[in-house]
Amino acid sequence: MSENREHGGKADSCKGAAAAGDRLVKIGRREPAGAGEGDATRRDFLSLLGFSVAAASMPACRAPEQRAIPLPVASEDMVAGIANYYATTCGGCASACSLLVKQRDGRPIKIDGNAASALFGGATCATGQAAVLSLYDGERLRGPAWQGKPTTWKEIDDRVQQALTAARAGTGAVVLLSSTITSPSLRAVIDRWSQSVPRFRHVTYDPVSASALRAATAQASGRAAVPHYAFDRARVIVGLEADFLGTWLSPVEFARQYARGRTAAGAARSLHVQFEAGVSVTGSNADRRVLVPPSELGAVAAALLARVAEQAHVAGVPRVADPIDVDTLDDVAAQLWAHRGESLVVSGHNDIAVQLAVHALNHLLGNLGHTVDLARPSLQRQGDDAAVAELVDQMERGEVHTLILHGVNPVYDHADGGAFARGLKKVALSVSTGDRIDETGAAVNAICPDHHFLESWGDAEPVEGTLSLSQPTIAPLFETRSAAESLLRWLGDDTDHYAYLRSFWREHMFPRQQATLDFDTFWDKSLEQGIVELGAGAGDPAPSPAPAPDPGGDWRAAIRQIGDQQRAARAARHPDRYELALFESVALRDGRHANNPWLQELPDPMTRITWGNVAAIAPSLADQLGVDTGDVVVIASGAGRLQLPVFVQPGQQARTISVALGHGRTRVGKAGDRVGANAFPLARLVRGARSYSAAEVTMTATGRHEKLAASQSHLSMEGRELVLETTLADLARDEAEAREPLPDLWTERPQGAHSWGMAIDLDACTGCSACVIACQAENNVPVVGKDQVQRQRIMHWIRIDRYYGGPDDNPRSLHQPMMCQHCGHAPCETVCPVLATTTSSEGLNQQVYNRCIGTRYCANNCPYKVRRFNWYNYTENSKFDFNMTDPVGRMVLNPDVVVRSRGVMEKCSLCVQRIQNAKNDVVTTGKPLADGAIVTACQQACPTQAIVFGDLADPNSWVSQLQNDRRSYELLGYLNTKPRTQYLARVRNPNPELG
Amino acid sequence: MRSSTILLGFAVLTIGASTAVSRIMHMGMQQGYSPAQPIAFSHELHAGKNRIDCLYCHYGARKSRHAGIPSSSICMNCHSMLEKQTVAIERFKEAVQLQRPLVSWVKVHNLPDFVYFNHSRHVMSGVACQRCHGRVEEMEQIEQVMPLTMGWCLECHREHAGVPTSGLERAAKRFTSVPVPASGLDCASCHY
Repeated sequence: MSENREHGGKADSCKGAAAAGDRLVKIGRREPAGAGEGDATRRDFLSLLGFSVAAASMPACRAPEQRAIPLPVASEDMVAGIANYYATTCGGCASACSLLVKQRDGRPIKIDGNAASALFGGATCATGQAAVLSLYDGERLRGPAWQGKPTTWKEIDDRVQQALTAARAGTGAVVLLSSTITSPSLRAVIDRWSQSVPRFRHVTYDPVSASALRAATAQASGRAAVPHYAFDRARVIVGLEADFLGTWLSPVEFARQYARGRTAAGAARSLHVQFEAGVSVTGSNADRRVLVPPSELGAVAAALLARVAEQAHVAGVPRVADPIDVDTLDDVAAQLWAHRGESLVVSGHNDIAVQLAVHALNHLLGNLGHTVDLARPSLQRQGDDAAVAELVDQMERGEVHTLILHGVNPVYDHADGGAFARGLKKVALSVSTGDRIDETGAAVNAICPDHHFLESWGDAEPVEGTLSLSQPTIAPLFETRSAAESLLRWLGDDTDHYAYLRSFWREHMFPRQQATLDFDTFWDKSLEQGIVELGAGAGDPAPSPAPAPDPGGDWRAAIRQIGDQQRAARAARHPDRYELALFESVALRDGRHANNPWLQELPDPMTRITWGNVAAIAPSLADQLGVDTGDVVVIASGAGRLQLPVFVQPGQQARTISVALGHGRTRVGKAGDRVGANAFPLARLVRGARSYSAAEVTMTATGRHEKLAASQSHLSMEGRELVLETTLADLARDEAEAREPLPDLWTERPQGAHSWGMAIDLDACTGCSACVIACQAENNVPVVGKDQVQRQRIMHWIRIDRYYGGPDDNPRSLHQPMMCQHCGHAPCETVCPVLATTTSSEGLNQQVYNRCIGTRYCANNCPYKVRRFNWYNYTENSKFDFNMTDPVGRMVLNPDVVVRSRGVMEKCSLCVQRIQNAKNDVVTTGKPLADGAIVTACQQACPTQAIVFGDLADPNSWVSQLQNDRRSYELLGYLNTKPRTQYLARVRNPNPELG
Repeated sequence: MRSSTILLGFAVLTIGASTAVSRIMHMGMQQGYSPAQPIAFSHELHAGKNRIDCLYCHYGARKSRHAGIPSSSICMNCHSMLEKQTVAIERFKEAVQLQRPLVSWVKVHNLPDFVYFNHSRHVMSGVACQRCHGRVEEMEQIEQVMPLTMGWCLECHREHAGVPTSGLERAAKRFTSVPVPASGLDCASCHY
């Protein structure tokens, strides 16, 4: 059933109200330009007041007529108001996390992790959470297009088939350029192309690639693959520019694993050392963060390798000059050696020599088969940078006849997008499966839009042996067609995607298991659960044969090469030249979701900046150059120039500038166009792999200043105890002090059957920001745009405050999720003149929108600054042209939560709609409420279980136990606000052996 | 003379103001609303004379927030076996065959957007449908009988929680005893 409100009709009988409406418009128009929705003068208010009294004394007005349209045929699976959940696979990036999608009345409205997955659990990342909004992007293509004009699928199919016939007869190549394909069924379609189309080639292109890691693994072990890492088995983790908790390879999985080692009690706790130049989410969580410019990173790997090899009595290791102080290197190497077989070295540096050194390190440390699994590798990155470069050359030489692009946008994100666009002109037929006429789409002949992953069938194999199925959660919104179906159709096979997928699974997957004898049962079960394990004990590394004494690959040559590069870099060093480090940001990743306003407005976990990227530089460099945050600079390397505002980043390596990729799109849509600058052209191919760093970069100030849209202006805690820290040693020694109750004037309140509360473990929180988007999706939080963020009017109900402590050159970083603390003695309540915010019998601080008159006293009196005011009517004001003003974009709204209007205050409700839902279930099913039956949206998304919600009235509940932990404390407890949310202090592990 | 005019004027103003306030308080209330429906469906015939259980057609009320308006296919469960055919029933039949929505019914009982009322919670707790919807089985055309205001909801919720329904009594009790905690009286029970 769908409900639809019709305005007009009967409303005509209310002439008085209509006239008052006209008057309001006039008042609005009298305002000076730019004021937006008018705030009327006092006289206007009085005249309106008189008018409305008159209107009220007229015959009572009827509310607008509302209509209800039932489904023509009743379905057991679709009852209005009841959510269905479907298991599917995330297509937000190549990590291919398993999902459980919530669907209400036929619309998917919320994405969550599939708890049955051994790899990903019930967790998701910010990108995955936001992917549901990308489905409702009103700027997606409505159907296929030929030369930029809408056309029919029939015409497109005819043209492609003609071109293929011509290609068969000619001499040109037919190439499929795709992003990493984890789908075994789609790979099988591509195999069919290889067999039936002469001169066909499949090239995989990842804009942020792990090509060097694959190449090094191929040299060392004979198979081009990304190893599957197990961070939970590692007691010592060394990261070399690998943001594995934020963006690298499979961040959700890694964050889960990492948290397991992190929260282990006492001496079992893992130790993490990170070598990096910019401040990444991963680096901010490390026990020890060591600053290394990109040009010296390889030397760190080589220096560690030399030390470990010495211990392992492996001779003939070339020496490189120590890039950092000897003690640190000695200590880290000693820690690694002491935990051989239980350590892990990872690097995201896309340089084959460095990756060979890292592989050799893991080999000599005996980590292969323990924390590094090569037998069942990860398939989440398959890009081959050298092959892409070769393709571009081939296109420029006019040797490619047909080019099919799937899931890629090289004109935007290739190092030389211009060359790619020129090459496309020399291709007889170019076809893209993109969902819009993007940068590449504007240069191709045909666009055959693929379904969004939530509309499509499919499968994925993120790690060998672990499969995940995809099923549609909504009928396609537009005239799109799945890419697999298009590829089959062009080969002359008219099978639809579902039939193909099913027959593929019958043929290839069903025989690989013994548990079920009947295919239909196997298929139904697999589809329902979403996950199929076809290897023994997935998640555990496969036992590998006894390692050879010497690591594979020519790692000695690699070290010599690293040494040569280091010497060359040192010789070229110049006081006015800097190094550049490019990285994927947590929000926008490689830029494919740039038109998603949720992600554009997600503050970067470290800079806390929204809507655009910045050039992060060290405070010392800023002082030296006389620039400050917001000053616009031009960064130039041999490959190109970038114009960006500076951000003075504590903890940034002194000579390195860090810039986020994924910004500066030009043809993605109204939210993402021309936001920030595109840094991809600066990532050039170096020694067969794309280098995301550059040396000899100049930086010049333009004299212009740009106001950044920062969601937090403070860098430090300003001397207040907001994030408490303890050390592992103190935790083992100290007994908790008994807390003295503070005197107070409040009368005792009666307590209901439940007492809701929350515990947030600051030790587990990595700052990944998945919770922020999860909350936004669950609670219909509006996007307000750059201008409003600059005015501190961001609407997020949960934010992750970031603080730096200690010296500016390499401080400790702290993340603190912050939302309404649901105070027992709430300062907001006492100042509300209309009782719009009160405490419920179950301890919730309730905000009643329909009572609120917008005095904003509560926000002023809130010590945690978590209340958000609706300055505008974000759903109807065309100035806020994001998803909520768009009929397609509105489909994402959660019908269980009110969309707030202008002039009311809002804030975290502890997902009261979920609490109510669970309590309703108790009544309708008769089963008592179990601990853990209610999870808040933030808790559900969190990969590290840092957030726990529950009933404090139950002393055995998880949240009660956590709040009784010795680390638990009340934020600003001295104000005696008695918050129901408590934080667990961050634990530091300043390993005494680590200098 | 002058003083009596002033007095009269004052009286008129007072009466006018109090009427206006009362009108404002009743704005948006739809008690007595009984719109004509696109198809003259009779609850008196179905629920009254033929004694079909409310929850047979409005099956959503048992498990969902919405009671739901029955699909044409639910109508056909009976009508496919009944001899008497009217034009309306023919149209229902066609709607089921073509799987196309047939009627856009006019909603009678409307709550504001900021209220979350849950049918299942009430139905499964044993609240009779008639308590809020009136004697539907006697209505030829559905009419909103109850005011459906918050005060009206709370009367019942207070009764259920053992809290005095009269405001004066509640105020008096506040001085003598601690109020009884009742989640059914929390704002966030319905407003979120």
